[in-house]
Amino acid sequence: MNGDIKRHRGYAAAFLLACCILLIKAAPCPGAVFYDALNRSVDLPDTPRRIVALAPNLTEILYYLGLGDRVVGVTRYSYYPTDALKKPKVGSYIQVNVERILELKPDLVIGTVDGNRRGAVKLLEQAGIPVYVVNPRTVKETIATIAAIADVCGVGERGHHLASQLKGRVEKIVKRTSALKKPLVFLQINIRPIMTVNSHTIHHDVIRLAGGRNMAGNLDVFYPTIGIEEVLKRRPEVIIISSMERGGRFEREKENWYKWPSIPAVRKKQVYLVDSDLLDRPSPRIVDGLEMMARLIHPEVQWDSGPEKKRGGAVK
Amino acid sequence: MRRPMYEGPQKGPLRASRVSTLCLGLSVVLLLTVVFSLMTGTASVTWSQWWRLLTGNADASDPSRLVILKIRLPRVILAGLSGFALSLGGVVFQALLRNPLADPFILGVSSGSAFGAVVGIMLGFSYNLGIPVMAFGGALLTMYVVLFIGQKKMGMESSTILLSGVIINAFFTAIIMFFIATATDDRLHSMLFWLYGDLSQSRFAESALTGPAVLAGFVILYCFARHLNVMTAGEDAALHLGVDVRKAKLVCFLVVSLVVGLVVAFSGLIGFVGLVIPHLARMAFGSDHRLLMPVSALGGAIFLIAADTLARTVISPSELPVGVITAFLGAPFFIYLLRKRGSRWTGS
Repeated sequence: MNGDIKRHRGYAAAFLLACCILLIKAAPCPGAVFYDALNRSVDLPDTPRRIVALAPNLTEILYYLGLGDRVVGVTRYSYYPTDALKKPKVGSYIQVNVERILELKPDLVIGTVDGNRRGAVKLLEQAGIPVYVVNPRTVKETIATIAAIADVCGVGERGHHLASQLKGRVEKIVKRTSALKKPLVFLQINIRPIMTVNSHTIHHDVIRLAGGRNMAGNLDVFYPTIGIEEVLKRRPEVIIISSMERGGRFEREKENWYKWPSIPAVRKKQVYLVDSDLLDRPSPRIVDGLEMMARLIHPEVQWDSGPEKKRGGAVK
Repeated sequence: MRRPMYEGPQKGPLRASRVSTLCLGLSVVLLLTVVFSLMTGTASVTWSQWWRLLTGNADASDPSRLVILKIRLPRVILAGLSGFALSLGGVVFQALLRNPLADPFILGVSSGSAFGAVVGIMLGFSYNLGIPVMAFGGALLTMYVVLFIGQKKMGMESSTILLSGVIINAFFTAIIMFFIATATDDRLHSMLFWLYGDLSQSRFAESALTGPAVLAGFVILYCFARHLNVMTAGEDAALHLGVDVRKAKLVCFLVVSLVVGLVVAFSGLIGFVGLVIPHLARMAFGSDHRLLMPVSALGGAIFLIAADTLARTVISPSELPVGVITAFLGAPFFIYLLRKRGSRWTGS
């Protein structure tokens, strides 16, 4: 009996709540509530005009959406596009400086789940600054994140258009590579020690979509350190060295691999150097990285020499 | 043969008024340091904002209120408590081991508690209880190992202590690196920062737990100040004077391990505080523990608050781990002590 009443009360409360939500939704106010990657509700009374991006890839996304002039703060290593270099810095993405952010008086802060620490997010919330947290871990999620950020910033239409363009480019690559034989790809993300990626990384997703198999996909650690012997044993058919470095040391590393002709990739001369920014950042440029990767993994395919070619940052 | 303890400039019996005057003076300096630290930072807070804050007229969403009360204040409090505890720990270790170079960091007690804390993180314990308890356990374990290595037969000579500290530090740091290298998720990545001491994530909850523990620890240890005085003259002498050396030692080690473990769990590995500050205090005010303990503890608090203020402003808007600053200041001082005094207790 008592339980019944309680249950009825519960229904009544739920009904009232639903009414309230409907009323709020129906009310002609410019504000909106968004749900982010942590399922937090982010309440935006107005379209954000002063945005702080707490990671380099988020800066790239905002510029891609044509919102560069609304960006008022970025983190270290936000050097793409070059205009971002002029923006005030708010620390590194692992250790953001909350004081600096508060000084910039943003009306929206965009953060990431893995880099930014929760303490900073909590402090910003207490200051009444909405924080929208994203968590793109695959190419697909990156594109979805771009659309979501566009919605939050009030440029939903443009965002969805750009996102579907990116999606089209990804689908094109997948279509061309899906029927092909999948070569074993060794992606080297660090030179000394030799480090690679496991299946929980966005790099793995790029290799997969580009029609390759990640040599180290089955390892437990996200970014495992491995020895030369392991590489010799696994016999990769393509070696891709991704680095922020340029010049001598980078070139020498390629030469180093040529000492091991027992590796199929060396025999077939499929050792490449690429710009790590195209693979490390879940930003619109990840699609450029995917196109570049597909060309490197499948040189046998007749890739059309469209505008995509010049985007690739590979050096053979 | 045991050499006499370094006496310092103190002459004649210690008067209570001297202790209270000095402590009062240092408390004033501490207060000034706190105020200075609260006023320093990336964001500038104007005088009118300060005025509104002090008169209680600032509204809750005022950014300056948030900067002062939620970002700087918890950090200053935790820095003060950590410095207080580490310096106090240094004084007590130096007396118990009759060695001027003993300090929680150098002995490896800090890395022992860090090891405990990391195991706690790996096991998914809560930050508010499980991890501090694990850190305490790690500190106790390390203390036991230090005492085991430095048993009476070998004597607690500096070389033994330093060597055991080096070994213990290397061992626990290796274990922590092992955990970081094999971690399958990103949870442990912030630990690299934490290995050099990091106060940037301070919250009031941590101070609420550390504060009472550290103050209670101080009171208990202060009750043993006379025992420590006698024991620094040698355990035989202490026994002759009717001091229960075993009990005093046990209580002191337990309390210091608890206090240091707590501090390490919340602020990471911050070195050299327990070495530099007690030494300066001993040089200036002599080695009577009734005076040395409060003076060192307050000095430690002042030192660490100042060091942390430097850490968060020197390369602003980025930050340095506070352990980097204390090591910059502390390591040269340590070498100076080694050169000047050798490994002996005796005065210059």
